[in-house]
Amino acid sequence: MRATPIGQPVDRVDGRIKVTGAAVYAADNKPAGLTYGYIVTSTIGRGVITGMDTAAALASPGVLAVYTPFNPLKLFAYVQNQNDESAPPLQDKEVRFHGQTIGFVVAETWEQARDAASLIRTTYQQQPPVTAFPGPPAAMEKADTDAEGPDTVLATGVASVAQAVAAGEVTFTASYSTPVQHHCAMEPHATVATWNGDHLTAYTVTQGAVLSVRRLSETLGVDAAKIHVISPHVGGGFGGKWGNWAQVPLACAAAKALGRPVKAVLTREQVFTLAGHRPLTVQNLKMACTADGKLTAITNDGITSRGFAGSWSESVANWTLTTYASPSIQVTKTIVPLNLGAATVMRAPGEANGSFALESAMDELAERLGLDPLEMRMKNYATFVPNTGKPWSSKHLDECYRRGAEEFGWSKRPKKVRATVDGDWLVGTGMGTATYGASRGLASIKVRLSADGTASVSGTAADLGTGQYTVFAILAADVLGIPVDRVRPELGDSTSPTAANAGGSNSTCTNGPAVQVAAKAVQTELVALAVTNPKSPFHGKDPAEVVYRDGSVSSGGLTMSFGTLLTTCDVGSVEAVGTSPRLVDPEHGFRSFGVHFCEVRVHRWTGEPRVTRWLSVMDAGTIINVKAARSQIQGAVVMGIGQALLEATEVDQGTGRFANGNLASYLVPVHADIPPIDVRFLDHPDPLISGLGAKGIGELGIVGVAGAIGNAVHHATGVRVRELPITLEKLLGS
Amino acid sequence: MASNEPGVSGGGSVDGHLSRRGFFGQAAAVSAGVALVPPAAAVAAAQPVEAAANAGLVDVAFKVNGEPKKLSIDPRVTLLDALRERLGLTGTKKGCDRGQCGACTVHVENRRVLPCLTLAVSLQDKAVTTIEGIADGETLHPVQQAFIDHDGFQCGFCTSGQIMSAVAVVREGAARTDDQIREAMSGNLCRCGAYPNILDAIKQVQAGDR
Ligand code: FES
Ligand code: FES
Repeated sequence: MRATPIGQPVDRVDGRIKVTGAAVYAADNKPAGLTYGYIVTSTIGRGVITGMDTAAALASPGVLAVYTPFNPLKLFAYVQNQNDESAPPLQDKEVRFHGQTIGFVVAETWEQARDAASLIRTTYQQQPPVTAFPGPPAAMEKADTDAEGPDTVLATGVASVAQAVAAGEVTFTASYSTPVQHHCAMEPHATVATWNGDHLTAYTVTQGAVLSVRRLSETLGVDAAKIHVISPHVGGGFGGKWGNWAQVPLACAAAKALGRPVKAVLTREQVFTLAGHRPLTVQNLKMACTADGKLTAITNDGITSRGFAGSWSESVANWTLTTYASPSIQVTKTIVPLNLGAATVMRAPGEANGSFALESAMDELAERLGLDPLEMRMKNYATFVPNTGKPWSSKHLDECYRRGAEEFGWSKRPKKVRATVDGDWLVGTGMGTATYGASRGLASIKVRLSADGTASVSGTAADLGTGQYTVFAILAADVLGIPVDRVRPELGDSTSPTAANAGGSNSTCTNGPAVQVAAKAVQTELVALAVTNPKSPFHGKDPAEVVYRDGSVSSGGLTMSFGTLLTTCDVGSVEAVGTSPRLVDPEHGFRSFGVHFCEVRVHRWTGEPRVTRWLSVMDAGTIINVKAARSQIQGAVVMGIGQALLEATEVDQGTGRFANGNLASYLVPVHADIPPIDVRFLDHPDPLISGLGAKGIGELGIVGVAGAIGNAVHHATGVRVRELPITLEKLLGS
Repeated sequence: MASNEPGVSGGGSVDGHLSRRGFFGQAAAVSAGVALVPPAAAVAAAQPVEAAANAGLVDVAFKVNGEPKKLSIDPRVTLLDALRERLGLTGTKKGCDRGQCGACTVHVENRRVLPCLTLAVSLQDKAVTTIEGIADGETLHPVQQAFIDHDGFQCGFCTSGQIMSAVAVVREGAARTDDQIREAMSGNLCRCGAYPNILDAIKQVQAGDR
């Protein structure tokens, strides 16, 4: 038998095309006769459009059409909720946020479309936008909000969580807030649409080709069977490409109306207003514990924003339900609609923000009790799912803690804050727990063995940089017993069997088992061909006597590779579709786990915080490709460092404009901000999620990062910052 | 009420689109009057696609990856859009169009340049190198190979720009320590966070003394 490639460090199979510029992303497509669309956006935050003078734009050179709410492209209402805008663009005259789509200009060239757009004169009837939380609790009660929950677990004999908190030997109350943040995937949202009669081909950014087909079918009123979405490479998503934002329907509908292909790409500034953001949140935490640090009650009242144009909001307090053992827990969710673009899922939605509060609070409580932060977590280790009492499918977080503490040198950590000074730098260390939900959905995958000796593996899945291509190649190579480089994975094509979209850390745990099923099924097809095809040397044999192994068919001393067999039979290929069902296991809790340890230095005169050392130890089940998995955790830590120290989209309160909605003013981490990031995996397969044993890692790596950094900043300086990001002005004079 | 601002550009856009339009219009007229007047026949033959908007087109000739290219273009076209939309070289990516992300980095006369901030008509007789032009046939440039070896990318969208910057950083030779390399590469954003691996890739190439 060949050695399995599972768990080995494998170079990305799409590496060569990505380092040579040959990988084709949505905006790289240029069908013959292509025209260019440019979205026009509102310059007020709330109101009604009273007029749009488009005469000059229409007369501008090269302009083919100008669509506005007064002259819209017909788009039917959206049905499926994709965590994006709840209604298609241009269908009414209401302005819900600053930077909303109010027009679409199509011209022969992009320059012509852009400049014609600047000639449109729009008049509005303005209203003051609502762009911030109402403020103190009393104001919040009077404000126009929605609520969900509460979600409550009560210890026996306890009448209410409030009572349980009040009865605590030690109690702790604090409020934590996080700002609007943006995904900032490097690839702006792009769609190129081209029609052939009543068949649409759309090259578009998407975290799942089937999501785009569904949305287009609904809003264009076109049979999904006539829509072909092609999206082989996506330049980062992080949740921001789950939804199909305005450029998708506009490009497709305009291409139909004009009888010409249309390309529409959001400008970077438009990505900020039109393609979603991580919402504004506040968490009001109350915790009670015994004098020796055992939690007895927790309440977390979460407040989250929702855009008036969208429907999604974060369940920001819910991480509190599943992380630490406490006999009584209650979380609530208050939703405040704001005149900002639609809030949407962004890497570890709810949990990246949720963990900042709880991981900070655990540290604060430990300090008050004189406990080591790690000891505090071990004292409250959740052996069972805290809010349901169910056992975990697998959980090795304690091993992550132990191994991480040992390798990081946690035991040498000074107990006191401000204990370590290195020149002008105050040095501190901190830790934070990571956990993220795991699940396995339904997926179908096709494996095709070809006469040239290669195997292709296809499904509608997406590789946003996650390494999904390589996961497909590794798993198929493993089951087929052939080298990884003889497998050709094909992703992002809506005509493939329906596999998992890239979201919710779900791709590998859902698609992986389906690849295995399909790669097994195709062997049966190959054997059937071998015994039935008259040209086959195995013709007429009992299929039970013909075995497939390591890329070849054998029987009675004769062995032939599948490529040779297919060539001999003059058959191009054999294929099989394998389906792996959704996992339904109401008896267990499924999550991935991990821990982050970090060192942060804060400059004592400028307050500048710098992350200088990092170790993450992760328990995410079977790791398929340790090389890409390590990179994915590193990347999530980098994004978490941004979340903790740099990133906030500033809302201009008078107008509702994102004041820093561009890549110069919205600070994402750069090379110089990032230290070496050490990542370890425990690699214990989860016995219940699937035979493969893989849970997800896409979001896990960012959870707990901001908490760990905030804790290290506190350890360095003695200053506790409860509002992200932890920028230097909050540390000045520390 | 206020007139409309397409794009609602924050930083980076020129002060008012009317003035931008005016500026480019003038620049075109000036260029046409001074040096770049081609034989009229060549203009029409070179770019029939632009026929619908042939007023004010400007001719420019430069080399891309060693090959001579001649364009007759709208003077507003950036080098980035010329490469991507007119010359079919889509390996160079547009991440911001404002000089803020580095995704578009190419070399002009062996120096790092942001083509989103460079008008194509300003490149007369210059030599441009893009990501498509650095491998030696089937053999990858050592920096390209090092990016694969060290997994210096995830989605790949910033990668062309990272590699073009890294090639220049290695060639310039000024950045030797980890911190110097990080600083020299800090104009190239990577939202996937491949920074530690990119650093390792550059160090591998430097160790190989390329
Ligand atoms: S596209 Fe040129 S720097 Fe961003
Ligand atoms: S690899 Fe995705 S942005 Fe750098």
